[in-house]
Amino acid sequence: MFEYMDYNIAPWGHEIVIYFFLIGAAGMTFVYAAAPVVFGNVFGGAAKSMEPFQKVGLIASLVLLVICGPLLIMDLGQPGRFLYPILYFHWTSPLSWGSLFLPLFGLCIVGFYYGLMKDNRSLMRWTGILGSLLALSMPLYTGLDLMVNQTRELWSNPTIPLLFVILSMSSGTAVVAVIQLLRGQLDQRAAEFLHAFLYLSLAVTFALFLAEWVVLNYGTGEKQQAWEIINQQFAFKYWGMTFLIGILVPLVLVAIPKLGRDPKILTLAAVLGAVGAYSFREVLIYAGQLTQINF
Amino acid sequence: MPVGLQAEPSLGVPGKKRWAMVVDLRRCIGCMACVCADKAEYDVPLGVWRTTVKVKDTGHYPNTKRHFMPRLCNHCDNPPCVRNCPTQATYKHEDGFVLQRYERCISCRTCIAACPYNARHVLPKNRDRVKIGGVVDKCTFCNHRVEKGLTPACVQTCLGRSRIFGDLNDPNSEVSRLVARHKTVVLKPDKGTRPQVYYIKPDRAQTEQVFSAPQSYAARSDAQAFYQHNRGSKFFSGVL
Repeated sequence: MFEYMDYNIAPWGHEIVIYFFLIGAAGMTFVYAAAPVVFGNVFGGAAKSMEPFQKVGLIASLVLLVICGPLLIMDLGQPGRFLYPILYFHWTSPLSWGSLFLPLFGLCIVGFYYGLMKDNRSLMRWTGILGSLLALSMPLYTGLDLMVNQTRELWSNPTIPLLFVILSMSSGTAVVAVIQLLRGQLDQRAAEFLHAFLYLSLAVTFALFLAEWVVLNYGTGEKQQAWEIINQQFAFKYWGMTFLIGILVPLVLVAIPKLGRDPKILTLAAVLGAVGAYSFREVLIYAGQLTQINF
Repeated sequence: MPVGLQAEPSLGVPGKKRWAMVVDLRRCIGCMACVCADKAEYDVPLGVWRTTVKVKDTGHYPNTKRHFMPRLCNHCDNPPCVRNCPTQATYKHEDGFVLQRYERCISCRTCIAACPYNARHVLPKNRDRVKIGGVVDKCTFCNHRVEKGLTPACVQTCLGRSRIFGDLNDPNSEVSRLVARHKTVVLKPDKGTRPQVYYIKPDRAQTEQVFSAPQSYAARSDAQAFYQHNRGSKFFSGVL
């Protein structure tokens, strides 16, 4: 049987996956660092347990951002035109909004750090609130960047932006937990605070994973095809790395009351959650590009 | 009403043009002259295409049939590539063309991801004769020829007159008469893109996603080579 079809190159490779992962981690790391100022005495002042993390957290967030920015620029076919999405702003493109928010987020980190050094509470409060919103917009816009492609059914799904925000909670928690554990400052109060966020993010990720499973199985031909591609080519990454290692195991670890609040176990669970966060994004981004080229 | 477009959809709007193409699959003989004409007109580099002709055999000997399916940009009336472009490098012309501003394209490939027809490609950076490179390119319906009263290069060269081009808003045009008289289909109408390439008498094996998956070893190899080329990632399943 003879068949012939030319294909043009698929657009997005591993640079985009790494960028989506790192920018989410950078955003949530900033939210943790700014939490003592932004949330103050909310929830019994639990956010104040992040005060020892503020300075190093801001640096970590900035370092991640400094890695992310050039990575995204170098992925462009025309790196020299990286300011064009702002200069020729197109309001219906999430990428334009992301390009605008990215430097603003960087400014907020610098502003917050300056406020912290000068003990300027007012500056810290404003840059903390604005920066936290921008930090959340980072994973949100990356999810929207996929969601607005109505012609790719694996992506065109309102849960994707929410999923990316939730996944960034897991990866951001991992950054905080690892840094604080290495510095010997992951005390019981901080572990309690991180545990709540990690538990929430893993539980929601688990729910969204199941939702994805139902949607793909009960969906259109293209969704069923996506499910087939995921289960054949990405089976290990999807079921092994994402579901088992990235969601189920850490969720069980944090769900056990005494075990889950142990700083080392919590850090382990957070790192596994971050592995799942990366793997989940990778499968979605790659498999989403494969479902259409048949015809 | 579509959002994010530089010009409103012109199909059926009095006083405006809506350039469109009809592909009569009964007449296509798979000679690939359209592909060659396009390559020659634009010096399209090796490995990428503005237009292609998909070939597929169906059935078992002695009851077999070979199908040809010319493919190109559908110049949609609601193009997702235009809406998603962060720099408005790709834009909608008021006569229906979907065009590309090379000097503004950053090659983020969002438009490629948005296109359901695999109609876009990235031009290599270093080219010998044409200096345009490192940007996304696509079929333009040969707007530079159309504006001078000529037909697109692929239409001009089509041996069997399978490709017919014209203004759908003109009731006396050949494309209008063909669309009115024949049962035509567009590709993926469910995606809401309002494509403007109309096919006469296609087979399910050509237009339906589930039925059109490549079956032969050669086609699978092509598809795998395509993905291996994508930044060295090898990820292709038995689905194709």
